[in-house]
Amino acid sequence: MIRDLSWIDPLYLLFALRWTVLLTLLALLGGAPVGLLVAALGRMTKRPARLASRGYIGLVQGIPLLAWLFLFFFGFPIFGIDVPAWLAATCAFSVYSGAFLGEIWLGALLSIPRTQWEASASIGMSYIEQLRYVIIPQALRIAMPPSVGFIMQLIKNTSLAAVIGFVEVTREGQMTAAATLAPLTVYLMVGAFYFALCYPLTTYSRHLERRLHVAR
Amino acid sequence: MSLVELRSIVKRFGEHEVLRSVDLTVSKGEIIAVIGRSGSGKSTLLRCINGLESIQGGELFVDGIPVHDPSADLRKLRARVGFVFQSYNLFPHLTVERNITLGPTIVKGVSQADAVALARDALRRVGLEEKLHAYPDQLSGGQQQRVAIARSLAMSPMLMLFDEITSALDPELVGEVLRVLENMARDGMTMLLVTHEMNFARRVADRVLFIHQGTIWEQGRAATLFESPTTEELRSFLGAVLI
Amino acid sequence: MTYTFHFRDVFAAQDALLDGLLLTLQLTATTIVLGFVIGLGVACLSVYGAPWARRVARSYVELIRNTPLLVQLFIVFFGLPSIGIKLDVIPVATIGLALNLGAYAAEILRAGIESIPRSQVEAGVALGLTRAQIFRHIVLVPALKNVYPSLTSQFILLMLATSVASQIATPELFYAGSIIQSRTYRDFEVYIVIAVVYLALALLLRILLGLAYRLLFLRS
Repeated sequence: MIRDLSWIDPLYLLFALRWTVLLTLLALLGGAPVGLLVAALGRMTKRPARLASRGYIGLVQGIPLLAWLFLFFFGFPIFGIDVPAWLAATCAFSVYSGAFLGEIWLGALLSIPRTQWEASASIGMSYIEQLRYVIIPQALRIAMPPSVGFIMQLIKNTSLAAVIGFVEVTREGQMTAAATLAPLTVYLMVGAFYFALCYPLTTYSRHLERRLHVAR
Repeated sequence: MSLVELRSIVKRFGEHEVLRSVDLTVSKGEIIAVIGRSGSGKSTLLRCINGLESIQGGELFVDGIPVHDPSADLRKLRARVGFVFQSYNLFPHLTVERNITLGPTIVKGVSQADAVALARDALRRVGLEEKLHAYPDQLSGGQQQRVAIARSLAMSPMLMLFDEITSALDPELVGEVLRVLENMARDGMTMLLVTHEMNFARRVADRVLFIHQGTIWEQGRAATLFESPTTEELRSFLGAVLI
Repeated sequence: MTYTFHFRDVFAAQDALLDGLLLTLQLTATTIVLGFVIGLGVACLSVYGAPWARRVARSYVELIRNTPLLVQLFIVFFGLPSIGIKLDVIPVATIGLALNLGAYAAEILRAGIESIPRSQVEAGVALGLTRAQIFRHIVLVPALKNVYPSLTSQFILLMLATSVASQIATPELFYAGSIIQSRTYRDFEVYIVIAVVYLALALLLRILLGLAYRLLFLRS
């Protein structure tokens, strides 16, 4: 049934945006623990741990996100589990985020000079205390700008979940475009919505970056 | 006619007045040493002469060219005025040869072959002929600075400006650079040097300018200025640097 | 429900895979070249251009960086015909991908240009070089050398991103995957193979770009 593009369509798109946001949050929820693990392993002195960390990062970053989505989407049924699109997407994005966030956080940890460890050790701090009071606060500040930047990328990447049928704003746009035969207008609107979500994050990330360099 | 003429030069950085009414004439073949405390404006003075800094008041002529005029062709001027920096500023990705031939080939349209000949000649004058194909990071500080001098010499300048060119060098490398400068002076090059090398200034310079708070506080022949400074400021400055 | 994998069916369709792979390679190569040129042009506008040019450059970069590639491809795919440009899907995909890469390359290259110390530029000015000459002989090569790692990472990301062009029916590797999938119903196996091929491509590209670095920037 073909209909004209009406004022209500942008509203539907806007509502679909919450699924975009939800998927991003779920991906972060799943990806953050993985990222922490990757970062922690990557900093260990034992070689197998570091190899595992780097191997995971290399593996995930060497495969397109679309492929990860499809692997999870078609993989689960193979093992007899039927998963809805959102769950497959969440798993794929969690794996993906875990690698990228892990890389960022590992980089932040590694950039703390060992003199910080030495200085805090020589005033008698335990390993946990070193982490808590000296290392992690600094690592956090360094990791914030790229992490915020990655969250922005994640929001954009959720558009690919449309391909496996998850109805976030891009999928909603596809359906609206098909119904109204006004694809250009629809996708321009979709683009505008993404821009509205992402641009504040981009600005915030830059602001954090500037503050970081001033402080140094 | 004097080669360089400054009339009541005023130079400001924002609100801060760095040069407050400087008058100066430089004749062909003169060697002038410019001394003073840091922040006195001596480097700025030099940088105004080849237009690296613009002036907010007064007039500046180099070989008759009005440098202060916004419509002046500064590129043509700079091709004839050599400037050597404190941090040499050699181009790290180019060989010594290319560093030196870049100016002649691109700015003056000299052929590649002629430019290489110019480069060899310039390197010979600074005593580094064998380093033609080396890269800057393979050279010591003193050698890099001599290549920087050669780079300016290859343009056959009528005037050479030196902005504290030995200040960034290890002490044992300063001598080789100063020797090159002495040779150039002997060959009749017009030179303005901002320097801390007081002994060198006394020996080689015709005239010494003491810059203080943005003006030429005192000037005169090297011998008289160093032996009998007339102003208190110069006296205390010499007292501090000549220890 | 099956635990046995049937890769044989996938390998039987290797012709389709090969065709897709070749197009992926072609798309990657053309897009890298085009995207780099666009990026360099936009970077120069951002650094050396008049205020209006800088604003245009900034807007372009922000628009691309804050919207998803998929949506950009849709916009180009549906937008070009509406302004009278009728192109095959491969040029359309190339344009969309190049515009995308161009924005990211522009940011990277701008950082590279701005990383060259002022003193280097001053030395060029003191010799009498024009701004264009200074850029070409003094700024460009060291700037590229400085940002080469970032640039190569971006190129590899681009190669992987060509998979998104499958959504506008570009018959590259990922699209080939969906074709084989509909033929053989071996969904999972197909995409395992595709994933492995991409992984190999990413590795290869990294090695290639590393070699290029040696050739371009390291002296004998």
